[in-house]
Amino acid sequence: MLTDTIIRYVKKVYTNFATHVYDVPPRMLALLILIIIANLPFMGIPTHRLGIFTTANLIAILAVSWDLLVGRTGQISLGHALFYGVGAYATALLYKYLHWPWWTTIPLSIIAGVGVALIIGIPCLRFKGPYLALVTMAFPLAVVGFFYYYRDIFRGETGLSVKPIFAPPIVSYSQKPIANYYLSLALLTISSIIIYKVATSKTGIVFVSILDDELGSKACGINTTKYKLLSFAISGLFGSLAGAFAAHLTGSANPRYFIEKTALIPTEYSLIPIIATILGGIGTIYGPIVGTYLYYTLNNYVFEYVITGIDKPTRILFFMAIIIFLIVKWPRGIARTIVEKLEDLQEPREVEEILKEKAKSEETS
Amino acid sequence: MPILEAQNLTKRFGGLIAVNNVSFQIDEGEIVGIIGPNGAGKTTLFNLITGYLKPDSGRVLLRGEDITGLPPNKIANKGLARTFQIVRPFRHLPTIANVLVALQSHRGKRRIEWIKTPERKAMEMLEDVGLSDMALEPAENLSHGDLKRLEIARAMALEPEIVLLDEPFGGLNPVETEYMVKSLQRIHLDGHTLVIVEHKLHALMKLVKRVLVMHNGEIIAEGAPEEIAQNKKVIEVYLGKAI
Amino acid sequence: MLEAIIISGIITGLIYALIALGFTLVYGISGIVNLTHGAFFVVGAYLYGILLNHIPKLIPQDLAYLTPTFAIVFSILLTGIIGSAFYRITLHQLLGEEVSILIASICACIVFHQIIFIAMGSLYAFSFTISPLVRGTIMIINTDVLTGKAVAALISLTSFIILGLYISRTKTGRAMKALSQDLEAAMLMGVSTEKLFMFTAGLSAGIGSLGGILYASTVTYGTASHMWMLGLALSFTVVVLGGLGSIKGSIFGGLILGFTQEAVMRIIPGAGVLQDSIPFIVVILALLIRPKGLFGKRIEME
Repeated sequence: MLTDTIIRYVKKVYTNFATHVYDVPPRMLALLILIIIANLPFMGIPTHRLGIFTTANLIAILAVSWDLLVGRTGQISLGHALFYGVGAYATALLYKYLHWPWWTTIPLSIIAGVGVALIIGIPCLRFKGPYLALVTMAFPLAVVGFFYYYRDIFRGETGLSVKPIFAPPIVSYSQKPIANYYLSLALLTISSIIIYKVATSKTGIVFVSILDDELGSKACGINTTKYKLLSFAISGLFGSLAGAFAAHLTGSANPRYFIEKTALIPTEYSLIPIIATILGGIGTIYGPIVGTYLYYTLNNYVFEYVITGIDKPTRILFFMAIIIFLIVKWPRGIARTIVEKLEDLQEPREVEEILKEKAKSEETS
Repeated sequence: MPILEAQNLTKRFGGLIAVNNVSFQIDEGEIVGIIGPNGAGKTTLFNLITGYLKPDSGRVLLRGEDITGLPPNKIANKGLARTFQIVRPFRHLPTIANVLVALQSHRGKRRIEWIKTPERKAMEMLEDVGLSDMALEPAENLSHGDLKRLEIARAMALEPEIVLLDEPFGGLNPVETEYMVKSLQRIHLDGHTLVIVEHKLHALMKLVKRVLVMHNGEIIAEGAPEEIAQNKKVIEVYLGKAI
Repeated sequence: MLEAIIISGIITGLIYALIALGFTLVYGISGIVNLTHGAFFVVGAYLYGILLNHIPKLIPQDLAYLTPTFAIVFSILLTGIIGSAFYRITLHQLLGEEVSILIASICACIVFHQIIFIAMGSLYAFSFTISPLVRGTIMIINTDVLTGKAVAALISLTSFIILGLYISRTKTGRAMKALSQDLEAAMLMGVSTEKLFMFTAGLSAGIGSLGGILYASTVTYGTASHMWMLGLALSFTVVVLGGLGSIKGSIFGGLILGFTQEAVMRIIPGAGVLQDSIPFIVVILALLIRPKGLFGKRIEME
C-alpha cells in the first residue's frame, strides 16, 4: 500500500519534471552524460591521456551525423570517414598553401564537406541500398589513392601538418590537452543540439518517413530525392566539421583520417560510427554519443592501459562480433533500451495539451 | 473534360502483358469501382496512373494535363492521391506524424494555416477517420483496421481532387467495413472523385455508381453494378464468386 | 594484339564471372545482398593454401598428385558449411531489413578478416602465395597464356555448366529456380524457404571460395586477408554490368570486365598501378550511365 503511493508519487513528480522542465527522458539522459563527460578530466584520467577522449568527442560528432543519415533517413554510408578526411585535408591545404588562420579555413572546409556530399549524393543517392553501400565504401579508398598519386601536394602517408588552435603563448603546453578536450566537448554539444533540432523538426519527420517507406512518402507528395540529399549534406557538414577541428587539435591531417591500413582494418573511422551507433542505439542522438564513448573507453583506454595483451585484430574481432550479435538480438542498442524503459514510467500526455502548448508558444513568439 | 483519363495504357514485364491497351475516362464527382480476379492487372494499372511504373505505351491525363511517367510525388502534388493495398505506415512515427508528412509536401503547404499549425490540420484529418485519440500512439501499435483508416487520412491530408484507393476494405471485419463505406461516402459527398479497386464486392457494389471489370490486363466489361452482376462474361471470369 | 585481348579477356572474364556467381545466386534466390561473399572469397583461398600443405601428409604418396583436387574440394565444402551456418545464425533473422543485412554482412567480412589475421600471423595475412594450378604457359591463337590461368577459366566454365544442369535437372535446383521467380508461389507450393536459403547461402559460399582459389592461383602475390574488398568489388562490378540475379548476366558481366581489364592493361602504358582500381572505376561509370545495371534485376535463372 505504502509502496503504491510512493510509486505513484514518484511517477507524478517525474512526469511533471519531464514534461515541464525537460520534456523527455532522452534529454535528461543527455544532460547526465554531458555532466559526466565534462568532468572526465577531474575523474582521475591523467591529462596526457585526455587526447583519447578529445578524439572521442569529435568522432562522436561523426557518429551522430552518420546516424542522421543511416538511422533516420535510411541511406547507408559505409565510408563516412570520407567527410572526416575531407574536412581535415581541406583545412590543412588551405593553411599550407594560403596561410589562412583556422577561423577562416575551418568554415571553408565545412563548405567543402557539404560540396563533396552534394557531388557524391546527386548521382549516387538514387542507387539502391547495396549499390550505395559499396560506392560509399569505395570513396575513401579512391581519395587516398588519389592523394598518394599526387604525393607532392598531399604528402602521402605523412600527411600535412596543421597549426594547432591552442598553442603557447595562448595556452601553456601542459594545459593544451584540457583546452582541446573542452573545445571538442563544446563542439559535440553544439552539434548534437543542432542535429537534435533538425531531427525533431518537420524535416526530421520527413526523413523518418523516407526510412520507413520511401514509396509511401512519395505518395504523400514528398520529393524524397531532395530530402535524401539534404540529409546527406547535413551529415557531411558535421562530419567535415569534426574532421577540420580534428586536424587543428592534433596538428596534422594524414591518410589515417580516411583509411587505416596499418591497423589492418582499412576503414576504421568509417567503422566507428557504425559500431558506436549500434552499441548505443540507432535512430537517436544520444545513442551514437554513448556508443562512441563506450568504444573509445574500451578500445583505446581499457584495452591499452588496463587490460593489456589483447592485440588489435582480436579487439576488432571482438567488437565486430558484438555488433553482429547486437544487430540480430538487440537492434535498439544499449542506451536506447534503457531510455525506453524510462519512458515507460512516464504517464501519457493528452493530445489536447500538446496542441494547446503549441498554440501558446506560437502566440507568444 | 474528364478529370482522369487513361489512353491505351500498356505494360509488359518480360513476356507477360500485365496491362493491355487499357483506356477509360473518369468524370469529376464520380465514384467508380474496378474489379477483377487476382492478377487481372488492377494494381499495375494504379501504379501506371500514379507514377510508380512507366507504361510501355499510352498516356494518362489529369484534367487534360499529360502526367504520364511523372514521378509519384509530382502526381500527388497535382491532386491525385492514392492508398496502398498493403498498409505501410511510417512505423517509427506517431500516428499524427504520419499525416504531418503529407503536410510537408508542396501541396500540403498551400494554405497559410497549414504552414503555421500543421498539427491542427493533421488532427482534423484524424478526427475525420476517427483516429484522433490514437494521435500520439506510434503507428506500429495500431490495429490493421486503424491503419487502413490512417491511409485514408494521409491521402486526404493533401486535399486531393481525385483519390485512387487500392483495396481499402482488405482485411476489415464487418463493423470496420461498414465504417469505411460510410467514410468513403462522406468523402465522395464532399466533392472528391473516387476510384476504388476492391475484391469485397458486396461492399463495393453498395458504394459505387459505375464498375469497370478487368481480366488479363484488359477491361472486359463496364456499367452499373446491377448490370455487371448479371453479366455472363464477368460471372465466368470470377468462377462463381457470389455478390 | 586484338587476339591477345580477346583470348585473355575471355579467360580473365570467366574467372571474374565465377567470383560473382555466388553473390548473384544469393540475391536471385533469397533476395538478399550478402556482402559476406567477399569473406568467402578470401577464406576459400586461404583454406586451399593451408590444405595444400597439410593434405600430402595425410594421404599415401602415390596419390600426392591429387592434392590440389582434394584441397579444392574440401575448401569448397568447408567454406560452404561456414557460409550456410553463418547465414542461418545471423542473416536469416534479419530478412526484410536491408540496412541491417548490409551492415551485419560487412561486419562479418571484417570478422573473417581478423580471424585470418590472427590465425595466419601478420606475415601471411598480408601476402599468402598460392601456386598456380598448373605451371607453365601455352599458346592459344598466338597469345601467350599462363596454363594455370587457362585451366582456371576452364574450371570456371565447367562450374557454370554444372550449376546450370543442377538447376534444371534436380529437385533442389528447380526449387531454387522457382524461388527466384516467385517467392510467394513457391512458398505456397510447400517449398521450405529456410532450408533452401541456407542451402543457397552455403552453395554460393562454396562457389565463392572456388572463385577465390582460382583468382589467387592466377595472381603472383596469391591472396591477402584484406582481399575481401577486392572480391566484393569484382562481384559487384560484374553484377552491375550483367544484372543482379542472373546467371547468364554473371558470364556476360564477367567477360565485359575481363575484356576491359585486359585492354586497359595492354593499351595504356604504365597501367599496372591501376590494376586493382579498374573494377571500381568501371562500376562507378556503369552505375552513372545506367543505375539499374545493364540487365535489370531478377531475371530467369538460366
